[in-house]
Amino acid sequence: MALGKVAIVGTAQTELRPVWGEAQHIDLISAVVRSVFKGTGFSIDDVDFVIDSGSDVLDGRSISNCGFLGALGAHHKEEARVEADGIWALQYGVNKIRSGASSVGLIVAYSKPSESMVENYWASQVEPFYQRPVGFSQRAAAGIQAQRYLADRGRSVRDLAEFAARRWADAKANARVQIDDLPDAEAVLASSESALPLTQLMMSRPVDGAIAMLIVDEASARRAGNNPVFITGMGSGTDSHAYADRDPLKLTSLEAAAAMAARAAGWSAKEADIVELSAPSVVGEMLAIEILGLDEGKAAVNRSGGALPADPIMATGLCRAVEAVRQLREPQLYDGGSPSRALVHGTQGVGMQNNCVMTLEV
Amino acid sequence: MGHHVAIVGVGQTHHARRRTDVSQAGLVREAVDRALADANMEMGDIDTIVVATGPVLFGAVNHPELWVANAIGAQGKPIVRVTSGGGAGFAGALAGYYQVAGGYAGRTLVVAYDKLSEGPLQYSISTLYDPFWGREFAVGIMGFSAAYWRARMDVLGHTEEAAAMVSVKNRRNSIANPYAHMKKEVTVEDVLNSKPLCWPIKLLDVPPISDGAAAIVLSNEKLAAKSTQRPAIIKGMAYCCEADNAPERSLMISEPLAIAAKKVYRAAGITNPRRQFDVVEVQEPYSCFELNYYESLGLCPPGEAADLVASGATDLDGDIPVNPSGGCMGANPIGAVGVVRLIEAATQVMGRNESHQIKDAKLALVQSGGGWANLRGCAVLSA
Amino acid sequence: MFSAPESMPLDMPTFHAEISLPYTLTPGRAAGTFLAEMKNKRIVGSRMANGDIVAPAQDFSASDGEPMTNFVEAPQTGEITAFTRVDGNIIAFIRLDGCSNQFPHRILDQLDNVKIGARVKAEWEDGVEQSILAIKGFVLAPDAEVGTVRALDEVEEAIGSLPYSMALQYEHAYGPYYGRMFDEIKGFGRVMGVRGSSNDDALLPPREIDDITHKPTGTWKTCADTGTIRGCSIINMEFIGQTLKPPYVYAEIVLDGASTRLIHFIEIDDVEYAKKNIGPGTRVRAIWTQGERKGSMADIERFEVIDE
Repeated sequence: MALGKVAIVGTAQTELRPVWGEAQHIDLISAVVRSVFKGTGFSIDDVDFVIDSGSDVLDGRSISNCGFLGALGAHHKEEARVEADGIWALQYGVNKIRSGASSVGLIVAYSKPSESMVENYWASQVEPFYQRPVGFSQRAAAGIQAQRYLADRGRSVRDLAEFAARRWADAKANARVQIDDLPDAEAVLASSESALPLTQLMMSRPVDGAIAMLIVDEASARRAGNNPVFITGMGSGTDSHAYADRDPLKLTSLEAAAAMAARAAGWSAKEADIVELSAPSVVGEMLAIEILGLDEGKAAVNRSGGALPADPIMATGLCRAVEAVRQLREPQLYDGGSPSRALVHGTQGVGMQNNCVMTLEV
Repeated sequence: MGHHVAIVGVGQTHHARRRTDVSQAGLVREAVDRALADANMEMGDIDTIVVATGPVLFGAVNHPELWVANAIGAQGKPIVRVTSGGGAGFAGALAGYYQVAGGYAGRTLVVAYDKLSEGPLQYSISTLYDPFWGREFAVGIMGFSAAYWRARMDVLGHTEEAAAMVSVKNRRNSIANPYAHMKKEVTVEDVLNSKPLCWPIKLLDVPPISDGAAAIVLSNEKLAAKSTQRPAIIKGMAYCCEADNAPERSLMISEPLAIAAKKVYRAAGITNPRRQFDVVEVQEPYSCFELNYYESLGLCPPGEAADLVASGATDLDGDIPVNPSGGCMGANPIGAVGVVRLIEAATQVMGRNESHQIKDAKLALVQSGGGWANLRGCAVLSA
Repeated sequence: MFSAPESMPLDMPTFHAEISLPYTLTPGRAAGTFLAEMKNKRIVGSRMANGDIVAPAQDFSASDGEPMTNFVEAPQTGEITAFTRVDGNIIAFIRLDGCSNQFPHRILDQLDNVKIGARVKAEWEDGVEQSILAIKGFVLAPDAEVGTVRALDEVEEAIGSLPYSMALQYEHAYGPYYGRMFDEIKGFGRVMGVRGSSNDDALLPPREIDDITHKPTGTWKTCADTGTIRGCSIINMEFIGQTLKPPYVYAEIVLDGASTRLIHFIEIDDVEYAKKNIGPGTRVRAIWTQGERKGSMADIERFEVIDE
């Protein structure tokens, strides 16, 4: 049975800042919901459903969507909370539209990690009997992965620093991330130890921000005021919970997710013009690039800077999709050309346990 | 147009006040094993998984879906967590429904659970409140629920006696439910004389606190026949919300539930719910809510819920039996309840309900919800 | 788009909140048995359906999800398969002799001495039970003999429930709307909201966007100290985290001049009196705390019924 196509017709994001000290969650959320309609020809009244991503643990309140429904523009609409990275909320929205049940959906993801201790967000994810008491969590997983990676691939810590510095520079140029002092490779190396051999600037930097996206069915896309970007493939996968049970040099679930998306889209990651990846550390991103078989000379990988300089936890993957939409629609803002295919990726869980991939096309 | 979706396998744990023999992950495993066996499947046949639980603070595990993945044997598969407080299970099932209806999966496993014995319930629910605005005054969701029941008493006549009748009916029905753990018959007088907790809510208006998990297998129409000759077809399903502190919010009729019902009834061709449905399963976190649902779902006009329950129409042998399983009064593993209600309704239209099979049941209505009574949904299942 | 002026100070005051909860977690059969055996200084592993030996014990196989078959005693020696250092602690993956899996634990040595493949043995912490930290960590043991997995005929009964606690700290931003509201409460002892997008009554708490219309809200407005109960209940029960001793009334109150509710307490002496005389429609007045106001809802000590 042929299922309908789904188009992205609007996106919005706040600046991503280490601390949005002067704004509450609802301020950031309502700001992006207000601006996502600009130039689309749609309004909040056209929206059939809202799907949102956020974390109770980061927000410091239970069922946190419940208190944000007004800001989300969800009042008296269908609403769902996906307590996963926003790219999974987008996946839900695509399924809902493809089912024919709805035409216009609003996807929102937000995060204010500055209000809590991000360490708690990660520590509370690992099972509480064996791993949590010994202090094994996200950073330790990234450290172990990096140590194995460097040994196996014969690369140096300096390589990691240079990679990170490049991403920070791209983010600075992209101008949607607050960066006061741009770190060079020396500064990355000199930053404090996070998880040996990784320094703090080799890990993703948690930032505050909100992201919104407006998605519609094919018929509605025709009356949109701007060029739609179509979602043509989706895939996701999960690895074993304990990082010790995984091969640190593989990301099996990313591979599975990419293969699933490629089957739907009819083309694989290698053939993408634009790639936006989420990773919690430099090595995580390097591994993802390898596993997807990407050639950075051919595809524009994380031109936004990716998640290293700006990781709005729970919104990072959706942010990648927003960045890819921008690059597909406005290639003149980058290095021109006529890109037509983008691959976007979101991840969550300790050591990237859970991965989601989508393909976008114009 | 999307795929039609059916429930082709169900499984739930024998719910208990406290399960000290299994972890949260082990509890999930029990329900999953039962649902897969019931659907005549193995894990390998499942394309995608949805995990639904109550708030993280209930169980002290963040992103619990990533922990329980191993216990389900779900490595390699798409897995996603959907939450919605008390309505989490139902909201999870709805996410699974769209995975199948939208063609992302042929078969989806939805598993929902809560192990409420592990944490302090009222305190963790109180964190639902805005930390700036009211949290220090919160009494879980019970203080709030009692406050608006009190308001409905005056306007809609939802008396203490009427709510007590709900409790009496559901507790009586629970006795035959093999998965329930609260099995004690009570009288209206017992309920009225029970200890006031948040008056007008009294001890016997409140369901037990439970450990439990529930799972369903959803399938598209093409694959359904491999599991069962008699699936429960989802004719319509929706879940709506309202802003919690909106000026017009009266909490009389549940507006999000009425909106959801309107959508679902239109999809399922329901024009006269009282006559068309053979059986109804609702999630009543307190007895008073069941009265509210009768009216919000259109089983009776506003203000007539008390008469409806008093008439016996919603009893087992009434014309519109509500909660033949006993509802939450028999067991209340909060995040799992939405799926439990779906299971009880699905097995009714499949003709194999283990508590009280309603004769020739063909069409069932399911309600669920959470939050500050501002997240509400319903579904119609048919044979 | 929401944005703050350049002049905005970077260090805005925040609202501190703590969520601190006690738990009793059930480890399940495998972890429950492993933890129960800690007092005997035995490391319990499990034999899986495919023959693998896994330690610490697991109920289900990480590779195929199959349940374990029986418990075994794993040796206390093994080797380091990977390591890192976090916050000064060396955390390594350790594979115990004869086991097919690895698990994380601490290494009690200098980093310079830690190598992949290094032999280690468990060091026990006296007096710790029911925790994997009864193994204080692993120490380098280059000469340790290769241990063997042994059958376990009898094991301690699995721990059914384990005390646990989780404390989460937050520093919530006030934002411009809550910020002004609490400044007004603190400075002037008055409750201010903003008008709805199409309504003269004030929204409390105030916000930039109207929940219903999703349009910008209106101008600021002072609400009265008096109001009307929209819903209330009489709290008789006690529970963890409660801030007032029962009985008292939980009330959702609409202040005069506002359209949305504020949540607070009403103190009562007599439950029966309260049942009859306090309900939806009852008029109430805010009683402010004596002394310096802090700029929070607690500056209103309680509400009391107005005799009108």
